[in-house]
Amino acid sequence: MRARIQVRHLLFGMLTALLAAAAPLLLSAAETGFAVILDTSQSQPRHVEETTMASVERDYGHAWHAMAAALEENKIGLLGSDFVGLAKEQLSQAIAEQSKSGLKRRYIDHGHQVRVVFYSSDGSAMELHDTVRLEIQLLDGDKVVQHEQGTFHFLALMTPAENSWKVRLLESVSGF
Amino acid sequence: MRRFLLLLSLACAASQWLAGASLRVPDRVQAGQELSIPTSGSGEATLYLFGPSYAAKRTVKLGGPVTLAGDELLSAGRYVVVLNGESSTFFVTAGPVSTVAFIARPSRVPASTKDGVSGTVFLFDRNQNLVLSPQPVSFSIAVPGAPDVQRQETSKDGVAWARLDSSRRAGAAQFVASVGAASVRRVVQEVAGEPCNIRMHAERAKDGAIALQTDPIRDCAGNPVPDGTIVTFTSVDASGRSTVDARIKRGIAQAELPASRQASVSVAAGVVIGNEIRWGGGQ
Repeated sequence: MRARIQVRHLLFGMLTALLAAAAPLLLSAAETGFAVILDTSQSQPRHVEETTMASVERDYGHAWHAMAAALEENKIGLLGSDFVGLAKEQLSQAIAEQSKSGLKRRYIDHGHQVRVVFYSSDGSAMELHDTVRLEIQLLDGDKVVQHEQGTFHFLALMTPAENSWKVRLLESVSGF
Repeated sequence: MRRFLLLLSLACAASQWLAGASLRVPDRVQAGQELSIPTSGSGEATLYLFGPSYAAKRTVKLGGPVTLAGDELLSAGRYVVVLNGESSTFFVTAGPVSTVAFIARPSRVPASTKDGVSGTVFLFDRNQNLVLSPQPVSFSIAVPGAPDVQRQETSKDGVAWARLDSSRRAGAAQFVASVGAASVRRVVQEVAGEPCNIRMHAERAKDGAIALQTDPIRDCAGNPVPDGTIVTFTSVDASGRSTVDARIKRGIAQAELPASRQASVSVAAGVVIGNEIRWGGGQ
């Protein structure tokens, strides 16, 4: 009987330790945003360094996470600093228009397969081709007026800032 | 049973017709152009439009065309239009190239350097949409008195880039990227490359020191090496080695080395070594 209790305690301890170990990983996944797999094999004219690759994966996923939240809650502030220039202007305008009409957009993100097609020689700009699996719900208040699920294509231009990459342009295209 | 199915399909068709039925929109529309969507049925319905920088909801009359204004379709990308439960998607594409964003690197480059200058252009229409269709882009770099260096490229997904050799002649190079009527100019300062064939001569100064002076220092294309470039004079004699670093001033470098009865004097700038003089040994 005592041996059984000890085994239970041991199992409980192991489970607690496992959860404690996994918690930072789970938290970091939530912080970094949506899943992005980056393919740099076709990058031209410059090769993408490993550290840059990791930064772009992290920052692009984070930008999508911020965009989804901002478009669903109609809060421009949620775009944060992930978007700059034209991308930020367009999204801010879309959010303002949605807010005015009581509309919303909900993106349920199922992951991005991203190809780097251009990385400038001086490292100041990068163009991405993103194939993303998405569910998009368009809402009037809380009523879904249109729902679609499938594979979508986005073209993105990113530029580096002090310590992260920013999305400067994000355009949905029919294909690559 | 057959009669029931027939009645059911007729009822479905009628309800669709009454509701305003399906939307017919083109696959693609140019940014800023008006779009007319024909509708059928009668009465009023709610139209929703969602685009990259736009969202709207309004009541429209069925039975006639519904117009989406050019102002509603300024941003390139995917649009969704929903009317009475029916939806359709279409893409707004960029118009002709109006603006060229040009990144030229570096701002200063040695003359006669292979692939020394790089230029990248991003092509935008008048609504700031990236022009994704292939466009011929011309890059040229020119310094007065030297032949132009030119390169033709075709843009892909809104971007074109090229690497060009810098001109043989030093000076302010005009680096131009043009697409149709749109063109952008940047200035790249082309400076002389490494010195070529440094020659010096020596004479005895009044205090007995060795006075050294170079001929005008030029690169291998004949461009004067910029003032301020360091030239190192070295003398080696029985008492050891003496070195003086001098800057080029008005195209030449000068220095004085300590007096010596017999010495070997050399000159160098960067990795380039000039002539050697045997002081007091007959030369």
